[in-house]
Order: sequence, then C-alpha cells, then structure tokens
Amino acid sequence: MKKRVVVIGGGAGGAILANNLPLEDFEVTVVDRSPYHYYWPWLLYVAFRGSRRPMRREIESLLKPGINFIQSGAQSVDLNNRKVVLEGGKTLDYDYLVIATGSRPTYEQIGGHEKAVEKYGDYHSTVENAERVWKSINSLKQGTFAVVVGGDPYRCPPSPLEGVFLAEEFFRSRGLRDRVRVVFAVPYPRPYPAEPMNEVVEPLLKERGVEYITFFTLDRIEDDRKVAVSMEGEELKYDALVVIPPHVGTDVKISPEDVLTTDRFIQADKYTNNIKGFDDAFVIGDASAVPVAKTGVTAHLQAEVVAKRLQGEDARNSGRTNCPFDLGYGLGTFVISDYRNPVVKLPPSRFSHMAKMLFAATYWDMVRYPELWNPIFEAYFDATEPAKLARIYV
Amino acid sequence: MPENRLKVDARGIACPGPITELVKAYRNAKNGDIIEVMATDPGFKPDVEAWIKRTGNQLLELREEGGTYVAVIKVTAKK
Ligand SMILES: Cc1cc2nc3c(=O)[nH]c(=O)nc-3n(C[C@H](O)[C@H](O)[C@H](O)COP(=O)(O)OP(=O)(O)OC[C@H]3O[C@@H](n4cnc5c(N)ncnc54)[C@H](O)[C@@H]3O)c2cc1C
Repeated sequence: MKKRVVVIGGGAGGAILANNLPLEDFEVTVVDRSPYHYYWPWLLYVAFRGSRRPMRREIESLLKPGINFIQSGAQSVDLNNRKVVLEGGKTLDYDYLVIATGSRPTYEQIGGHEKAVEKYGDYHSTVENAERVWKSINSLKQGTFAVVVGGDPYRCPPSPLEGVFLAEEFFRSRGLRDRVRVVFAVPYPRPYPAEPMNEVVEPLLKERGVEYITFFTLDRIEDDRKVAVSMEGEELKYDALVVIPPHVGTDVKISPEDVLTTDRFIQADKYTNNIKGFDDAFVIGDASAVPVAKTGVTAHLQAEVVAKRLQGEDARNSGRTNCPFDLGYGLGTFVISDYRNPVVKLPPSRFSHMAKMLFAATYWDMVRYPELWNPIFEAYFDATEPAKLARIYV
Repeated sequence: MPENRLKVDARGIACPGPITELVKAYRNAKNGDIIEVMATDPGFKPDVEAWIKRTGNQLLELREEGGTYVAVIKVTAKK
C-alpha cells in the first residue's frame, strides 16, 4: 500500500519536497490556498529595479504528473488523529504530514505600519507593495530615504541591506545622490547582525556614504510628522520609508497547540524537522521554529532531508545557510554558515553576484526537476562548506 | 501589573544571530518585565553588553555555564 503524504503549502519547501518523493511508494497531495507559487526573492528587483519579469507560476505546473493538487486553504491540523481539515470542511487523512506554509508579514506590532505600507510600499509582502516602493523611490528627488528593520524574524536576513544597497545605486544612477540621503536603521549593534558578514558589508556602507543607526527598535511611524520613533523615543526623520516587517508563522490551527511558539512558528527537531513529539509529521522552511535563517535554500535542503527520511534513510540537516547577498553595482556575496560553523567572511565579488542571478534563472527548473539539479547542488554545497571556506577567508 | 518573565532560547543560532531573538522579545515586553536569553554564539556577550549600554535597559545578570551564555535583563527604558 502506498503511504499517503499530505503537504500543506506548495511554495519552495512544499513543491520541492513533493517532487522528491517517488510516486511508486507515495500518494502525494499538495494543498495550497493560492493557485500560484511565488519566487519571493524577486520582490527586491521589482522594488528597486522596476523589474516586470513574472515572478510566479501555477503550482500545478511545477508538480510532477501524478501528484494531487488541491487549491484550498488548510484550516486545522489534528496531529494526534492524523487529520487535516480544509477551508470548506473537507477532511484529509494522512500517514505522513509535511507543513510548509511559510511565514507572513504582520503589521500589528508597529504603530502606523499599515498606513506607511499603503503609502510607500514594502518588499516582503506582495508584488503590488513592491511596485509601490519603485514608485516611492522614483518620486523622491531630494530628502531622506530610510530603510528600517521593523522586527524579527523576516525572510532572508540579507534582504534589508540588499534594499539599501540597491536604493543607493538607484539614486546615484539618477544623479540624485548628493540630494538624497540613504539611511538604514536596525535594532542590532551593527548593520548586519552576524559579525563576520558585517565586516564585509559595513565598509561598503561607509564607502558609499550610507548612514546607519544601530540599536533602533522601531515602535511607531508618525507619518504626519514624517518620523519613525524608537521604543526609547529616538526619532528618525524621513521623506520616504520602507520598513522590513516582522513575520509570524502559520495561520493553520494546530492541535496540540503547544507545538507552536507565541509567534506561531512550529517547533521541530533541528536535524530531522520532525514536529516536536510526532514522528509522522514534519515542518519545513519558513514555517518552522528551528534556529536557522528563513531562506529558500534552507527550505530546499530541509525538503531533501525529509524526502529521504520518508524513504527510510537517516538523513539529517546540517543547518546550512547559503543566502545570496546583492551588494549593488554588480557585486555580491553569500551568507554561509551551519549549525557547527559561524558565518564565513566571504568577500564581495562579481562571481557571487552572477551565482545569485544564476540561481534565480534556474529556479523553476530546479523545483520541477530535482533529479537533474540535486547532484549539481550537492556538489556546490560540498565545495562551499563553511568549514572549508573558513580556512580560505579568515 | 505583575511583571512577566520571558524566556528566550537562542542557542545554536549563528545567522542572523542571537541578538535578533533578544530584540524580538524586547519588542513584546513592557517596562518591568524580565527577559532571560540563552545563547551559545560567542558574539552574544559583547552584543548584550553594548545593547544594554545603548538602550538603557538593566542587566541583572550575565553568566556562562558550560558554553551557554545566560543574560537576565530587566526592561526599563521604554518610553
Ligand atoms: C525580498 C526577499 C528576498 C529573498 N531572497 C532570498 C534569496 O536570495 N535566497 C533565498 O534562499 N531565499 C530568499 N528569500 C526567502 C524565500 O523566499 C523563502 O525563505 C522561501 O520562499 C520559503 O519557502 P517556504 O516553502 O517555507 O514558504 P513559501 O515559499 O512562502 O510558501 C508557503 C506556501 O504556503 C501556502 N500557505 C500558507 N498558509 C496556508 C494555508 N493555511 N493553507 C494552504 N496553503 C497555505 C502559501 O500560499 C504559499 O504558497 C527571500 C524572501 C524575500 C521576501
């Protein structure tokens, strides 16, 4: 008898997991509220380059023939009784469950946040909001453009600074750099929270004249006065502002409830992705509370580990991150670390930028044809192990 | 109002770093609350010290036990 696997979420993690399961042994059902799978990293280029390249595909077209797709929201999961209830009441029973519902921005923690997004946009939510950022930077001819990290966690730790670098490049290319200040505010002690990567990016900020404010925990935005106010009462004046929204976890009701953190991320074993206390249920990607950055690469690696575990192999996560980091002007780096090794101090290069764009270009193929791409990625990840790189880039 | 004690487990976080977990807890805390953070990243100690100095919150305790740092912080600086 085939094992029934229900996958909630057909984004990066869910789709890759489903495509990695042999259909002779598994009956795979993917459930997603949206008919589309989004390649979220592209929001950055919609916001700061005005890119119009389509960044979504129909989930059905990304899944191998033979995988069932149900377009519906999942409403609740009962882990003890192995049941998933969909919006509309349909119930799915499973032998194995994989939750891959990602994370979503919340606008409730910061005063005036929603209004600010309506006005200036952001690049962690929707294409429409990213287009608003593009409009905002195009209409700013003088004054202060501020990017503020609003709270943790958010998808892709490099993404706030990527926005800053691309905005700086944008204003310079328009010949406005002497009239537009670019300011970056973070709640951390330094622009990039992990020290080794900060040593790579902080000199670039200085070189390009980007001002930054540290220890700034955003409390509220008072747009009538055009100031962002910190929790200690410090004020940051702006003319246009983009806030990196804090994210929360799943909207699915889960029982037992104690597998969830207070911000609704699902607790799991960091090596196996098993949901705390359940050997037949997993969580992968951004939806999980495991101590690793929320990136597509992580979702991908976890999907491969869980696919192997479902086939009886004792695969384990290394906690590897590999976040591409656009530094503007055609330069890039990668944030590479794992559970045992701190972040590598990888210097800026054109090659890393090219690798980032190469990932973007191959993305859809990589989701759809894991049998072709897995060996290539394995070779890449092996060659760029943090322990190996750390010996080169000290 | 009674003070809350918020426990934060940031052990094993290399990137983006344990300081992000402290900041998250701080956002949801109010003056008088106690935040207790556990972390293994060696950069955590100087980061907590710098954070305390700049934000003006109160450090009640910062100790190391077998490779784990524990910081106990009282939230006092919120306006
Ligand atoms: C600006 C930006 C830049 C980024 N850059 C990079 C990068 O360079 N490299 C990188 O690796 N990552 C990057 N990321 C992060 C990456 O996009 C995410 O980490 C990745 O998409 C996570 O995959 P996931 O499967 O966990 O979630 P998602 O891809 O978000 O998929 C979740 C899916 O679950 C569905 N869903 C949610 N709730 C329900 C429900 N109740 N019922 C049914 N379906 C549901 C959603 O519709 C969605 O399709 C970036 C993100 C952003 C925003």
